[in-house]
Amino acid sequence: MLELDCVSRFYGHNLVFKDISCAFAGGGITLLLGHNGAGKSTLLRIMAGLTRPSSGTARFTAPSPKIGYLAHSTFIYPALTALENLRFWHQAHCLDKSHDLFKALERVNLTARAHDRAGTFSRGMAQRLNLARILLLEPDILLLDEPGAGLDTASQALLRKEMLDARIRGACIILVSHNIAHDAPLADRILLLEKGGLAYDGSPAFFSAPEVQACCA
Amino acid sequence: MLRMTLAVFRKDMTLTLLRGNGLAQALLLGLLLVFVFSLSQGIGENLSPRNAAAVFWLSSAFCQVLIFNQLYALEEVNNSRLGLLLVPQPLQAVWLGKALAGFVLLLLAQCVFAPATIVFLGQSLSGHPGPAASILLLTDAGMCALGSLLGALAQSQTARESLLGVVLFPLLTPLLLAGTGVCAQALGGASGEADAWIGVAAAFDAIFLAAGLLLFSFLYTGDE
Repeated sequence: MLELDCVSRFYGHNLVFKDISCAFAGGGITLLLGHNGAGKSTLLRIMAGLTRPSSGTARFTAPSPKIGYLAHSTFIYPALTALENLRFWHQAHCLDKSHDLFKALERVNLTARAHDRAGTFSRGMAQRLNLARILLLEPDILLLDEPGAGLDTASQALLRKEMLDARIRGACIILVSHNIAHDAPLADRILLLEKGGLAYDGSPAFFSAPEVQACCA
Repeated sequence: MLRMTLAVFRKDMTLTLLRGNGLAQALLLGLLLVFVFSLSQGIGENLSPRNAAAVFWLSSAFCQVLIFNQLYALEEVNNSRLGLLLVPQPLQAVWLGKALAGFVLLLLAQCVFAPATIVFLGQSLSGHPGPAASILLLTDAGMCALGSLLGALAQSQTARESLLGVVLFPLLTPLLLAGTGVCAQALGGASGEADAWIGVAAAFDAIFLAAGLLLFSFLYTGDE
């Protein structure tokens, strides 16, 4: 579904990572790990097409895949209500008119706040509204950049459930997280970015405890 | 593309007119310009129709800069720009939606500037209003096509207001000349050459529309 071929990225003269090559298929969750500054978010943005690689290519093998991108920024207009925000993204994506926006809000437990301005929402509620936006899209590729940051336990459980549903649907999910204990059990594959390259690419079963400790340190 | 254009247009109009991200600042700046120019007249003196028309278009141009700064700033609050970049539709829909929103907002502002120009600068509508209405729409269309393009360019810059002004005003000169020439006739100035000015405005509209369609996606995508 998504292929990276010798992708490198520099910021000025500073190397972030070099020659990253890997492919991602549908129906799996990949956990992307690394220290702060290792380039996880940059790599995710390259996958989403939001940042150009300095060299190499990132390409989709499926024709016109729908991409869902959930990051620190919520893409929400604070002066619009929750429902108006969803309606805007629904129209902008030219989605089928049969989509029930209230149902999407119901899935993230925001029905009662549908007509409240998003600017009055807490960080967690705003992120749930952002999740509702993603759910509307039913993305083929779901890119999640520390999506659990700022979410309470219930919202994290909701996010986890939606990730698992997306995997069953056949979506390719790539998750950046520092919460390894929480997210590693979900993953089918782990990528570790370290020292400007891909230090590990494989099953969580072979991702040994010392490496996990080193990564968490 | 049309659905996305209309979605951006509707969202921007809602945010600007109904949700407190209003036109007030842009309107006040334009009105202030008209008022300050009215102070340049002595008692019993009136500005010539051409000067009055120039003041009207100057107010419109400053107002337009603020309108497009604001329209593009809406996308920066929670980084919604990234969300727009991920929509699998031509990015020109964003340019067109914002240009349409800017066009309507500029027309609304001019509904205030026009009577203010007549009242404060001692003018009267003694000429033919038909060509003036045509040039108003044509000039506004060109100003908004260019404003929407350069608004996207300026948004990623630190000195966005000054950059937009510095780049925009020289490019707008032909349109402002056309607008001033024809509107001066509507205010009772010497008649003639209205058709030629309308032709000039239409030609620059076509150039700015083509530039917007071709260049917007490069400017708005950006890259760090």
